[in-house]
Amino acid sequence: MPETTTPGTTTPGTTPGTTAGTAAGQPPTVRRRWSARGGGDGAPPRADVGRVLLYLGVGLGGLIMLFPFLWTVVTSITPGGNLSGGPSLIVEDPTMDAYRTLFDTLPMWRIVLNSFGIAVASTLCQLVTGSMAAYGFARLQFRGKNVIFALYLATLMVPLQVLVVPLFIQMTRLNLNDTYFALLAPSVASAFGIFLLKQAMESVPRELDEAATIDGASHLRIYATVILPLVRPALATLTVFAFMSSWNSFLWPLVVVRSPELMTLPLGLSTLHGQFTTEWNVVMAGSVVSILPIAIVYMFAQRHIIAGMAHTGFK
Amino acid sequence: MASDQIVRDRPAATPPRPQDGRRSARRRSRLRTAGWAMFFLLPSGVPLLLFTFVPMVSSAWVSLHEWNLISEMQWVGFANYAHLLTDPTTREVFGHTVLYIVGYFPLVYAGGLALAVVLNRRLAGRTFFRAAYFLPVVTSWVVVALVWQWLLNPSNGLVNQILGFLNLPQPGWWTDPSWAMASVILASAWKDLGFVMVILLAGLQTIPQELYEAARIDGASAWQQFRRVTLPLLSPSTFFVVVISLINGFQVFDQVYVMTGGGPAGSSQVVVGQIYELTFRYGRAGEASALSWLLFAVILAVTAVQIRGQRKWVHYA
Amino acid sequence: MVRRRSIRFTALAGTAVLALGLAACSQGSASSSSDSDSAEGTTTIRYMNFSANDGHEEDLDAIVEAFEEANEGIEVEVETVPYDDYFTKLQTAVAGGTVADTFELNYENFVTYAENGSLAALDEINGDAYQDSLLEAFNRDGTQYGVPTSFSNVVLFYNKTLFDEAGVDLPTGEWTWADEKAAAEALTDADAGVWGDYQPISFHEFYKTLAQSGGEFLNEDGTAAAFNSEAGVEAATWLVEKSGTTMPTEADGAGTPDFDSNLFAEGKLAMWHTGIWMFGGLADTSFEWDIVVEPGNTQNASAMFANGAVVSADSEHPEAAQQWIDFLAASDTTADIRLETSWELPPVADESKLTGYLEVTPPENRQAVLDSLDAVVLPPVIERQQEMQDAVSEELGNAAAGRKSVEDALADAEQRVNDLL
Repeated sequence: MPETTTPGTTTPGTTPGTTAGTAAGQPPTVRRRWSARGGGDGAPPRADVGRVLLYLGVGLGGLIMLFPFLWTVVTSITPGGNLSGGPSLIVEDPTMDAYRTLFDTLPMWRIVLNSFGIAVASTLCQLVTGSMAAYGFARLQFRGKNVIFALYLATLMVPLQVLVVPLFIQMTRLNLNDTYFALLAPSVASAFGIFLLKQAMESVPRELDEAATIDGASHLRIYATVILPLVRPALATLTVFAFMSSWNSFLWPLVVVRSPELMTLPLGLSTLHGQFTTEWNVVMAGSVVSILPIAIVYMFAQRHIIAGMAHTGFK
Repeated sequence: MASDQIVRDRPAATPPRPQDGRRSARRRSRLRTAGWAMFFLLPSGVPLLLFTFVPMVSSAWVSLHEWNLISEMQWVGFANYAHLLTDPTTREVFGHTVLYIVGYFPLVYAGGLALAVVLNRRLAGRTFFRAAYFLPVVTSWVVVALVWQWLLNPSNGLVNQILGFLNLPQPGWWTDPSWAMASVILASAWKDLGFVMVILLAGLQTIPQELYEAARIDGASAWQQFRRVTLPLLSPSTFFVVVISLINGFQVFDQVYVMTGGGPAGSSQVVVGQIYELTFRYGRAGEASALSWLLFAVILAVTAVQIRGQRKWVHYA
Repeated sequence: MVRRRSIRFTALAGTAVLALGLAACSQGSASSSSDSDSAEGTTTIRYMNFSANDGHEEDLDAIVEAFEEANEGIEVEVETVPYDDYFTKLQTAVAGGTVADTFELNYENFVTYAENGSLAALDEINGDAYQDSLLEAFNRDGTQYGVPTSFSNVVLFYNKTLFDEAGVDLPTGEWTWADEKAAAEALTDADAGVWGDYQPISFHEFYKTLAQSGGEFLNEDGTAAAFNSEAGVEAATWLVEKSGTTMPTEADGAGTPDFDSNLFAEGKLAMWHTGIWMFGGLADTSFEWDIVVEPGNTQNASAMFANGAVVSADSEHPEAAQQWIDFLAASDTTADIRLETSWELPPVADESKLTGYLEVTPPENRQAVLDSLDAVVLPPVIERQQEMQDAVSEELGNAAAGRKSVEDALADAEQRVNDLL
């Protein structure tokens, strides 16, 4: 943490290291200084240096994080799509050929629509099933709660790689192979999301739902009108992760899908890798196509994470 | 639709009427809570039971057989487990997995926390930065692995060029058995920073601003605010990150598969990598299932310790 | 406020239910298209394959169309899966009892499926149409379980321009390892980033160089490894010693995706041991290149990769299935399409059908592809094939990286292979 933000450095009488309790008679000027920081005007000069450094650090880090994506875009518009010579961000003769090839060789619209539909359905299901279960675990007292929660968590502890074959056989017996239902079913609920939301709900002060209980609200009403709005940042987070995990899932769709009409994006993109050679510009074009929708979902969810603040009533 | 009706028709949470005996009232309230618990848990419980739990039980059954997926299963009892417990490969793959977690978790947690705290402040363009730091999370491992194989290329990669410039030793990274796992760790921590950041950001957002205000009035330094307000109130999110990172860390696979393929000389092979090979390449699905149940036991034990220990440091509202 | 929230929630829940409902409904339409029999007595045969992926999907469709025209009442439903994921999907399908009626197998994996009773015996195949050695490859203990559909082999590619510039004599079919080594040393120019030679250090190269030195991989009855011999050491040393002298090492990037093909395509590799499947990608390079039969040591031996088609033991239409794979493998239509599109080589007995193939350039010396067939060696196969290949490749890698001596690596590989037998 930058030292410059310590009130003690600008206010005589408060030494750094004073514990929170002892500085009760703080002059109001300190408060103003603090609140002024947010607006950016009136901050002390040393804070500006800190801020510049902060921007530099965040900016540089951001570039490092962005680099692979930029390179993916650049490779996708480079003719020939050769990977040799190391990553480069310079394009000579940019071309959209790779995208044309991508949309010519694969039924991309259908594929994207499949992936999108399943991801949206799975995300909505997880939001509903997850927030309900999380409420149950966070707010209800019932016998065997801890055991049941442990069983939920246990579903995260066996790798998919060994579950795929039994699950496939099971789906075959139910005659559900090669259907949208089979694609969606394993991701209707996830212990990951339940755990995430339960943790968020446990942070909500209980006084709020106690007040609602006294007003005669049922659990369902408390869940829907008190708790859910307060955990919107967590719901937005789960939206991002649920969408992403469905969007990127590969192994299960690989074994369960047979008809080309049901093909999802990762399956489609995997067909671009040949047994001996790969056209990397086309692969990268596919990669761009697959990254953009999640990035958009993330940006959308981001606004809700921040907007969530406005509804908490804390401010 | 249906849920609206429930709200109207069932005044479930009305306090028990005074004329009821205390005992039966308590029982009724317990029954009512049990009913609510069913209502809230069934929508997730049923699919988890059908599509995860049943296959888990099947895989436990498979683990007692010899099976190559393409012929009949042969009952072998606990022979798969006995074999795994004596096979040195088992210890190796568990060792590599633990090494991965020990290297990966501190990096990704410290980095993710720092990012979340910084990007929770009012910064110009913070939406952009949040997105930038999240992009690696959504980028496929195939692409990320290519980039990192270049960055860490032993003879002309960027990292070794910088190390050479600083007169530091230049390791062989993914081509050297002693550095292969380090390469995987670096790439994974880099990729997952945004994941931890997003979860902690959501946690930071739920911390009431009044608490900071009060701390400021009390003259707390930024560091003190961080220690006494941020960290404790973030602890439920931190707990989630710790538990999930460990559960996922023990099941690390994709990045190893695409970056090193478990090599060189098996030096970066991890448990799930071994499970995958055994199931789909070596036709030893029974052994793979047994290995996954050993892994399950380890993850379960580690998670149980976490849950036990949370009372000491996790602060719920 | 409270009211609005709960309505919003209900809408959310309703959407989820709707989505589920939609998913359940659409299931009907998806599965009906793959029902194996339709009303009018047509038989539908499913065929799963990997070799049409990434470039030959339309060529396979053309073969299917020709077959369906010639065989009224039989329809073929093709499913193409990339090679990297093919066996994951195939095994799961076999385990679930939903495997396609017919599917593709490469020679190395064929034995595993034949030994496990997953394949139907083929009794309606006209063997005369096939090259004997290839047909024989898909025969197990006297029963024909598959037909060869295509093959390809490995030759020595060379960059003619680099040879001319360095004033080194061009490779010929009579070359031996010694000639290759001398040329590779003369052509390697570290400062210019030019390497003399490239040959992967792997199981597939090892069994072949072993044969080139006159060694055997397994003993006669296939009960023990026989490669830890004088010839074996010679073969492994030949591969391992290239690394870092005339050939780039792993640290230089060898083994990363498309490393070798990029190096050759950029004109920075003088000689390259690789398959004829690379012809297409090298059609318009800025330099001249050609091929020769791979140099041998004490004798010539060329690697051959064969793919075959098999009928599942569970198929409900074994006869129609056999008709299809026979057509797929040996019909004139297939041969023509394969040659026209450089989609490996058809396994036909009649070599005159291959003449058209020889006229396409580059390379000038296409005849070398056929010449290589005079001394072909197929990979050794055992039931636990994949484990054997991985073990041998890993030990050779240890030797190449200097973690073990060649002798130790071979001894360890021998031990590991014996454990699998």
